[in-house]
Amino acid sequence: MFLAIKELKHGKLRFLMIGVITVLIAWLVFILSGLGNGLSTLSAATFKNMDANYVTFEDGSRASMSRSLLSELLAEKLESQPNVSAASAMGATMGTVLNNSDSETNEKVDIAILGITPDSFLEPNVFDGKPLQANKPLEVIANETLKKKGFKIGDTLKIEGSLEKMKIVGFVKNETYNHLPAIFTTLDKWRSIQFAAPGSNKGIEKPVNAIMLQGENIDSEKLNQLFKNTETVTKSTAVQGMPGYKEENGTIMMMLAFLLAISAFVLGVFFYVLTLQKSNQFGILKAIGASNRFLGRAIVSQVFLLSFISIAAGILLTYGTALILPDEMPFSLDLKLVILYALLLLVISILSSLVSVRKITKIDPLQAIGRME
Amino acid sequence: MSGIQFKNVSKLYQQGENQVLALDEISLTVEQGEFIAVIGPSGSGKSTFLAIAGALLHPSKGEVILNGKNLNELKPKDLAQLRLEEIGFILQTSNLVPYLNVLEQLLVVKRMAGKLAKADKEYAKELLQSLGLAAKLGKLPEQLSGGERQRTAIARAFMNNPSIILADEPTASLDSKRAHEVVQLIANEAKTRNKAAIMVTHDERMLEYCDKVYQMEDGRLKHDDSNSYEKLKAISTKG
Repeated sequence: MFLAIKELKHGKLRFLMIGVITVLIAWLVFILSGLGNGLSTLSAATFKNMDANYVTFEDGSRASMSRSLLSELLAEKLESQPNVSAASAMGATMGTVLNNSDSETNEKVDIAILGITPDSFLEPNVFDGKPLQANKPLEVIANETLKKKGFKIGDTLKIEGSLEKMKIVGFVKNETYNHLPAIFTTLDKWRSIQFAAPGSNKGIEKPVNAIMLQGENIDSEKLNQLFKNTETVTKSTAVQGMPGYKEENGTIMMMLAFLLAISAFVLGVFFYVLTLQKSNQFGILKAIGASNRFLGRAIVSQVFLLSFISIAAGILLTYGTALILPDEMPFSLDLKLVILYALLLLVISILSSLVSVRKITKIDPLQAIGRME
Repeated sequence: MSGIQFKNVSKLYQQGENQVLALDEISLTVEQGEFIAVIGPSGSGKSTFLAIAGALLHPSKGEVILNGKNLNELKPKDLAQLRLEEIGFILQTSNLVPYLNVLEQLLVVKRMAGKLAKADKEYAKELLQSLGLAAKLGKLPEQLSGGERQRTAIARAFMNNPSIILADEPTASLDSKRAHEVVQLIANEAKTRNKAAIMVTHDERMLEYCDKVYQMEDGRLKHDDSNSYEKLKAISTKG
């Protein structure tokens, strides 16, 4: 540590340059992770937030709500199965709404309309207003995004291309579905919007898109056999089945992986060149008795210090960036993810310095004598 | 036995298809309290000799016994330890760590050995004071003159209280006043603290401080008793 700190102080410019590179890499890694996290929240927050463990879809729908159509009556039968503590149905459709009460703001808003059973485990808590009521099918609760867009409690929503109208009675937080703000309504109301065209329900009684199950260790294989034409998957599989979810995440993860690999090489090369430059110096230190261990520790602790400070600076910059990013930008930093990537970067930079440590062990102290005959 | 002993030491270098015999059956004993010089033209094998004495190079044949330890039998890790504890290397002027100040140059030697005690710091300061560097403790090598750098290098070599002192051209790039001071310091340390000291040099002005002078030529070492300084010394001690 002693040599490491002394040298950092002495070669400020040199280490500042490497530090800046590390800061930039860290910054980009955190921004990408924030973006990835934000996108996946936007895509599937409602699924991620719901207090369910398994989801039952129609067979062949490959865990996608939009491809699946079941009868709500199935929920009761599923609920009586072993390990299933509760089951509740959900329907989803996309739509565009207008604010009918406020003629000034005639901006249209794209939304996801989710049909649920009021007071079931699928209904999120309202932070403003009141929850859904089964006997008041006109009332809906909406994600706070709509509040930010100027909608108020008591406002009437007019759904485009339909005669249906709804009244906002409450707001919920962090409920987005398929990249759109979610509006929760009763299943009946949802059906009247979704299956307005005759025959579109394929003759299924009380159609829904999927049935969410609560309960640990549910035997999905058994459920699949027991209920023909169904397919029960875990919640995380259902999240993966959200439209675009896998693709978005995959893209971001690929960028992150490349970035981390590149950073390993860039940092590794920098430290290696620095070490080469100092090889005569290390030779002298070895000649007067420094062990490989002593010199290796000096290098690793130097890299550790430099990376630690740079990554910390990168985190600060990322949180600073988050403050100035526009609200619409799907950016959300998850502290756990930030810490994970910070540790990963730290490990990568230390691993990349090991090439230099290996070089040190090969430096011949004879160099110190200088002029071998 | 203490001190350093060469027993029929040879060193062969492979250069392409040719073999170069850098050292040829060298036998030599340097006792504690003895200061010897090895002189010779460049290419005579002086540096190879010093590198082998300093446990930096393995002989091709023969043995080197340092304070009773046969260097051939030690592992690389133990050799580093031995260099740290038993050998004080005085290298050429520029060979200080560029980003450490004068005091730290000495303390880093203690850190290599493990913990740095408060007493070590005091000892380092005393050592530097005795070498006339008390006012330069916080200076970096680039802020020192050639003589000051060399004295720092000497202080560093003495820091671990080694039993063997090896000096590689310690007077190169010094003016003659500084050169005399530097060699006197080494001679003094060898005498007063009972160390075996070997100096490899080109500089014939410095031989008056040495007990014995060896001439190296084509890898052979021979005791040069014709050396006038030694004779002078012998006469002066008699008288």
